Amino acid sequence: MTTAEETNGDDIALAGEYALHLLAPAERLAFERRLSRETGLRDVLRDFEEGFVTLADEIAPERPPRRLKRQLEARLFADPEKTGGLWLWSALAFVSGAVAALILAAILFVAVPVTNLTPPGASYQAELVAEDRSLVVRARYEPQDGRLSITRLAGTAAPGRVFELWLIAEGADAPVSLGVLPQNPIAAIDVSAEIVAALEAGTLAISDEPPGGSPTGAPTGTVLAVGAVITL
Amino acid sequence: MTTTADIEDMIARVGLGDRKAFSALYDATSAKLFGVCLRILNNRAEAEDALQDAFVRIWQKADSYGANGYSPMTWLITLTRNLAIDKVRARKAPTGNIEEMPDIGDSGPTPEAAAVAASERRRIDVCLEELDDGKAGAVRGAYLEGDTYQELADRYDVPLNTMRTWLRRSLQKLKDCLTR
Repeated sequence: MTTAEETNGDDIALAGEYALHLLAPAERLAFERRLSRETGLRDVLRDFEEGFVTLADEIAPERPPRRLKRQLEARLFADPEKTGGLWLWSALAFVSGAVAALILAAILFVAVPVTNLTPPGASYQAELVAEDRSLVVRARYEPQDGRLSITRLAGTAAPGRVFELWLIAEGADAPVSLGVLPQNPIAAIDVSAEIVAALEAGTLAISDEPPGGSPTGAPTGTVLAVGAVITL
Repeated sequence: MTTTADIEDMIARVGLGDRKAFSALYDATSAKLFGVCLRILNNRAEAEDALQDAFVRIWQKADSYGANGYSPMTWLITLTRNLAIDKVRARKAPTGNIEEMPDIGDSGPTPEAAAVAASERRRIDVCLEELDDGKAGAVRGAYLEGDTYQELADRYDVPLNTMRTWLRRSLQKLKDCLTR
């Protein structure tokens, strides 16, 4: 707590703005990077959040529709009883790798339709949005195509500049480049297995960069839009 | 009656991948969190989406709860509110007209809600009252409606930079008061 007392006024205001979600995407990311290192800042933020949360006391609880819980659990736990494909995968998990591969190969030839086999692995989605909504990009990852599909709903890069996409893995200090977005508003980006693994609970961001992308491997221009990755 | 300690315990067990605890946590907290989503999004379908996303996040991040000393409801509400606000910002055009929104300054707590954490509640009220005219409304608007600086500046009919200067100063005062 002593460190909190040393926090200067600007940082206190910044923590309050962060708690209220008032910061622009770039400021927000910069603040989060500091949070992971500075205990004093985390203490100040917690004081704000604990204070503000009491404002939510006046929000009346409302029971969500029953189906929502079923949908949620299906989304998270993919109920094995309901989908033949998933039952098969869990059954395969009991068999050792080589045997499983053989059985799987056999099933792939025999079972009709093959599309019943849901591949393991989650789908992810993120909406990257600029503070003033001048840039809105949806990114979606489906395990069966192994690529990140990008749909730019609003915004174009400044003349002579490009948009570069970044992934900030949960708890990671530095963003990793996923590549420069093409001019076409609909695009697909190949992602490695390591990137896919880091998508869960990560954050995607878009920065303004010179043609060809950041020359340094880290964002050099303004971070224009950010979005949390959601597991579908 | 579910206590704070119960919820804390549920979150801890969810962090270990306990689905039963997740189900219990959902039953205990989803109504409050759905209320938060509805308040910010003002749209049922979007609020349902936001609530689902929030619980997915809770499932994923429960193992990191506790590291920063948040009380369990603060952690849950803050996480949910932030996701709901991300959704509001993702809208291409806001569905709610700011002028048509009820004056948030007037909406008092229900008796039931007021009974919850009454001492905390008084502290934030006392601290907000210490702020200059209108600033309390701006803080409440940002927290409860997810207003941006631009929306606040429009509402108070001041330039954006003025709004920011006002609010930053108010936040410093508020922090002083909250931890006094």
